[in-house]
Amino acid sequence: MTQQPTQTPRFTFRTFILLLLPILLLAGVIALFLSTGGGLDLDSAAPVEGLDVERYNLTKNMIELHVRNTGPEEINVAQVVVNEAIMPFTITPNTAIQRLGRAVIQINYPWSYGEAYAVTIFTSNAIAFGVDIPVAFETPQPDSATFWGFTLIGLYVGVIPIFLGIFWFPALRQLGRRTMTFLMAATAGLLIFLGLDTIAEALEFAGEVPSAFQGIGLIGIGAVATFLLLDAISKQQTNASVDETQRRLSIAFMIAVGIGFHNLGEGLAIGAAYNVGEIALGTFLVVGFIIQNITEGLGIIAPVLRDKPSIKNLAVMGMIGGAPAILGAWIGGYTPSPFLAVLFLAIGAGAIFEVIYEIAKLIHKDTTREPMPMTVFSGVLAGMLLLWVTGLLIK
Amino acid sequence: MNNKFSRRDFLKIGGLAVLGTASATAVAQNSQPTHNNSHVSPALQQHGEHEGDLPNTTGEVDHEKNGFNPDEILTDFDYGKVSTLPNGQTLREYEIIALNKNIEVVPGIEYPAWTYNGRIPGPTIRATEGDRIRIHFSNGSNHPHSMHFHGFHPGAMDGIPGSGPGGMVQPGESFVYEFDAEPFGLHLYHCHVFPLARHIAKGLYGTFIVDPKEGRPPVDREMVMVMSGFDVDFDDANDFYAVNAIPFHYQNHPIQIKVGEKIRVYLVNILEFDLLNSFHLHANFFQYYPTGTSLTPAEFTDTIIQGQAQRGILEFTYKYPGMYMFHAHVTEFAELGWNGMFEVAE
Repeated sequence: MTQQPTQTPRFTFRTFILLLLPILLLAGVIALFLSTGGGLDLDSAAPVEGLDVERYNLTKNMIELHVRNTGPEEINVAQVVVNEAIMPFTITPNTAIQRLGRAVIQINYPWSYGEAYAVTIFTSNAIAFGVDIPVAFETPQPDSATFWGFTLIGLYVGVIPIFLGIFWFPALRQLGRRTMTFLMAATAGLLIFLGLDTIAEALEFAGEVPSAFQGIGLIGIGAVATFLLLDAISKQQTNASVDETQRRLSIAFMIAVGIGFHNLGEGLAIGAAYNVGEIALGTFLVVGFIIQNITEGLGIIAPVLRDKPSIKNLAVMGMIGGAPAILGAWIGGYTPSPFLAVLFLAIGAGAIFEVIYEIAKLIHKDTTREPMPMTVFSGVLAGMLLLWVTGLLIK
Repeated sequence: MNNKFSRRDFLKIGGLAVLGTASATAVAQNSQPTHNNSHVSPALQQHGEHEGDLPNTTGEVDHEKNGFNPDEILTDFDYGKVSTLPNGQTLREYEIIALNKNIEVVPGIEYPAWTYNGRIPGPTIRATEGDRIRIHFSNGSNHPHSMHFHGFHPGAMDGIPGSGPGGMVQPGESFVYEFDAEPFGLHLYHCHVFPLARHIAKGLYGTFIVDPKEGRPPVDREMVMVMSGFDVDFDDANDFYAVNAIPFHYQNHPIQIKVGEKIRVYLVNILEFDLLNSFHLHANFFQYYPTGTSLTPAEFTDTIIQGQAQRGILEFTYKYPGMYMFHAHVTEFAELGWNGMFEVAE
């Protein structure tokens, strides 16, 4: 034989060196740039600094600020001003804060209940960073009373409404095929509305995330990864040729998961808002919340109306959809973190949009048997309008 | 923190007034009792219940590195190099140089100041009415500067742009300001180069005292206090206030005086960006001589107000020993640094 058979690609030492070469060159360029400036005059006239007050903690005669250095270089905290008065402070672990490092500033200050405060932190380069305390009150500490309080909030806004929605199951089972398709479409509409809302919420929190953590990018990662992961799981199930009933049940579970993440984000927002004194959970608002979130329960059961899911399955789905609101309220109430909020909301958005895609496939199957374009149109629109109108109650 | 928790905007209602549900009440109940505790009863306060720290800076300024100490500036009167002119007039000569200098205005924050002779306020120039003042001014900084005196002098000595070579002394150049010290009173000098607010706020100011020919009635102690502020983040609003440059200096280092001692304070306001400044003396009253141009006091009071470049002489005596506060009764300024103490000993 004169012709050599084509060699299967093999990872050789030579390949390794070739892969490494650009990285070595890159290191050289960076070294050159750092030592010479690469011909650019990059000395800034004023230092670039960033300091985020991630949260504050108010206890008797004490204002405690949890700060993070979000600038490119180390910074030094020099002075602290509270409402136009220079105040002595202590800082742990150190006045010097590394890049992305954190510190706790404590100010012995006789703040008064219900009043507003503005704290300004001056770094050694005389750059001022401020935080507003819109309504001062004792920050809830993790004790049994606040724990139970946050739990109740989660129950009211998450668990109870979803179970109320699920209680429609026996009645809706009596409906005809066309009505069930309408309900599926309405569920898709609900989810589109929730998905948009979740994205908007994530974008708002992204603005609070230190810029180094790239909140917008985080939304993309969380949403896309969740969407594709759920899609992959769903495709695996299709390949495993589970029956239609099983498949609809798993879609219902996925809806529950998506709504669960959504409610987790909701709980985070409520807990965090409570912490900064922005929340007034009046009776009317809670009632509004129950009315709006009841539709989430409806959405969960829509795909399985023609089947006979066990009570246990229905209960589990309700808990998956609603209970995360409690978890979110705890996290948001005790350690509000915009980073976590963005991540959870992004995951929720990804899950919700994937579920919409699954429902669309189910509806498509129904409509191939019997075309009913107006049913789909009116269903989706009805779902969206339902949330919009109930939303009016709590705006 | 901004109002960013707009969960379907329902959270934006704000306030804590209506907590209607069991859930909210459960959380609120926890915060209510503790909030009540935070209001300490008057009786407890009298017993010295610690309610929080007093306003103050954290740490101590490095006076040595700054090159001046408010303790010394307080009583540092510069009579110049004295000689007699052929016509019998007393000549007082001063060397003053404008310098860029980083000054630690509050502990941990260095402010890129502009100074006369490396200190804020600049030297307290003191002469007697009718003396000849000769100031050898040189500009060692990288911006044009001048010295504009309040008082009688020819236009060419006014130190404002357009008044000739003394109006804007370029970097590396120098000029001799020469004029007779009059009228008697308490005056000031400052740079008058555009942008004026910045040139003043960055530290180019000082006191100019002209004593009457016959002198003022003798006192036991004389002090100079220049009220000013620092806008360290350049937003044209002062971040810190002080007398003699360093916030809270005389609060942390009380001025030592004695019961019965007659005290005379030369008080000058050169505060930029704010409309008014003031001086309030605790547990006492003072005779006030606005601009010091009369030997008869205009007022017997414990609080006076000065706009920018207003000044006046205060005379007082303490009857009882103790610690006595003096501060701007614009209390915002007081808590941002313009606060001091007299420690009166037997």
